[in-house]
Amino acid sequence: MKGITGKRFVPLCIAGLCIALFAACGGKKSGAVIINYPTFQCGVNTAAPVVEQLIAEFNQQYAGKYEIRKEDVPGDQNYVDKIRVQLGTGDVPPVIYGGGYNLLDPALARDVVVDLTAVINGDSEWKALYSDTALTVNSRDGKIYASSSEGSVIGYFYNKELFAKAGITAPAASWDEFFRQCDTLKAAGITPLALDTADSAWISMLWMGAIIATENTAGLAFMQQMTPNNYNTPEMIKAAALIQNMLRNYTTVDAVGGAYEHAANNFLSGNAAMIANGPWMMGDFSDTTKTSAGFADKVGAAVYPGGFVYDAPIQGYFVTKQKDPALQEASIAMVKFFTSAHAQQVALEIQGMVPSSPGVPISDQAKQKWPLLVNFLDQANNAQFRSDNLQATMYPNLLDIVSQELPRLAAGSITPEQFCQLLTEGAAKNN
Amino acid sequence: MKIKKRWLVLFLAPSVILFMLIYAAPLIMVFASSLTDWRLMSPGIHFTGFANYIRLFKDPDFYMALKNTLIWILIHCIAHVSLGVFLALILYKRPWGWKAIRTVYMVPNIISNAAIGMIFVNVFNPRFGVLNSLIRLLGFGDINKNWLMDAATAFPSVTMTWFLFAGYTTIIVLAQALSIDESMLEAARVDGASNFQIDRLIMLPLLKKIIGTTMVMAASYMLQMFDLIYVTTNGGPGKMTTNLPLLLYGVYRSEYNYAYANTIGVCIIVVGLFSMTLINRSFKVNEADY
Repeated sequence: MKGITGKRFVPLCIAGLCIALFAACGGKKSGAVIINYPTFQCGVNTAAPVVEQLIAEFNQQYAGKYEIRKEDVPGDQNYVDKIRVQLGTGDVPPVIYGGGYNLLDPALARDVVVDLTAVINGDSEWKALYSDTALTVNSRDGKIYASSSEGSVIGYFYNKELFAKAGITAPAASWDEFFRQCDTLKAAGITPLALDTADSAWISMLWMGAIIATENTAGLAFMQQMTPNNYNTPEMIKAAALIQNMLRNYTTVDAVGGAYEHAANNFLSGNAAMIANGPWMMGDFSDTTKTSAGFADKVGAAVYPGGFVYDAPIQGYFVTKQKDPALQEASIAMVKFFTSAHAQQVALEIQGMVPSSPGVPISDQAKQKWPLLVNFLDQANNAQFRSDNLQATMYPNLLDIVSQELPRLAAGSITPEQFCQLLTEGAAKNN
Repeated sequence: MKIKKRWLVLFLAPSVILFMLIYAAPLIMVFASSLTDWRLMSPGIHFTGFANYIRLFKDPDFYMALKNTLIWILIHCIAHVSLGVFLALILYKRPWGWKAIRTVYMVPNIISNAAIGMIFVNVFNPRFGVLNSLIRLLGFGDINKNWLMDAATAFPSVTMTWFLFAGYTTIIVLAQALSIDESMLEAARVDGASNFQIDRLIMLPLLKKIIGTTMVMAASYMLQMFDLIYVTTNGGPGKMTTNLPLLLYGVYRSEYNYAYANTIGVCIIVVGLFSMTLINRSFKVNEADY
């Protein structure tokens, strides 16, 4: 009996490798339907532990039947880019999280989204989780395509210790007072604001939207409008001028060109006194890998000056059409699980995420863990004005213009009027 | 003779078929789709003639991207290649440590562009970047210059991320220089020629074609340049550092306008063909020496 010779060994290895590769390419393993799920909620993202837990629970619950395999796509913008490119090629993942990036409409335009209306209407438990606003955000032409898990109630956070050091006792009630506070902080040697300009300038745009919404009724109407075409409005120009002022005088040196992560790091390390962001950031305040121990006790939350708060459900998960009906069925099960009352409760308790469904109560455990959230939601309930955020309502191509032109606005290379004109011209490219 | 031709056709066929499928067909599709209104969000695809080209020639972003691309091609073909050739002309004389220098100079060229980009993002960081720290150390004041985001410095800063790393040019030109018959140089030395005269009057003419080749490579590298700019400035501030590939990607990604993106693609091909032809003709790259 001769052993395997060198000549035979190589082809055998290649054959074995091919078999292994083909096996790996298949969607099923041990009978379980594999759902490959790309997500930006990984790594240092505040929702990463929530997604990890939900995947583990789902895989356990559906062991042998369905299995989610997470594909890490760090960075929100990278995820959005990836999905857009995949929409272009037609090779889309079975489940997409719309997040705050309105991925549903381009996906619908490509006719790749599964209509969930019948499934949801036939499932009273699932249907009950939809508020009226959540239904609006996730539906088109009377058909339900997506399911939300997360509410978007956004104000801003401030460092109470730095405020106290500067002699400030409470968050500003008006924008005049706000800028006076910025001057006071600056005079005390404290950088008032953590801002960004890269990756769609999420934080800076939150401030901008709040300024627009509180300027007058026209400003609020502008903020409540979907995909505005005209940015040459007095409210918008005034907001751009104030953002220019913020970027020039009240922020860190790395804000211009910096991404959200830089701004978050500046706030978490005590380099800046205020940051605009949603409650999902609260998890970071007690995460000692991101900030010092006890930092959470130093943070206060507030609605924006003028009594404004962002308040709108975030567009949720949707399922894409798949050739394999079993995979499509598995994906629907995943979306249902990820947006269930249990999942919203898990996200609330782990991350401090606001549930999208009013039917999900703020549990005692969550109240104990997230006193800041409870305090903020109380303030938000009393806010006078509400709207969705600017990024959710503007055309996607304007996000690039914002991040490219904010550095020029900050440097004074363009005026606020020119900034608004560039946005208007960018919006026109969509028509 | 007939049999020979048959064999020729047989051997050439696979490459021709592959070329047609992999390059020619997509190129035709790029051009064809540039004559339509193909968008992600549009209900269908319609023939629109040269409407996208008319938009292109009216688009100030296109002119900015074209200008940046052409300037970078020029810088890369002239200054960058000159730097590589200069170093090759030093190294071919085999000074002490020439092999080590050759290897070390090649290192940045084997690192991925994304990694190089990240390195330079940190070098130019306004808060803790090496450059500002160095300037502070030299006593030029408490500088917090945002090199990559300042309109005045963004373009040269991005240029610096690749400008100095002419390792490929050096290696290619050096290989050619080392293959030149030593007796020719010896004869020149016997006739009293200085090193400078040998380089100028013997080496450079003999290296002309390989220099032309490296220029073709440099031009095509610049026409493909994307990742370094994307990582460092993403084309900003404004469109100050946007080149044609980045503009194409921006139109594709944020406007979902595939037809217009392909129009820019056609323009990149035209600029490429023009540049290659110009360099080839100037250096007579494809002509025999004798």
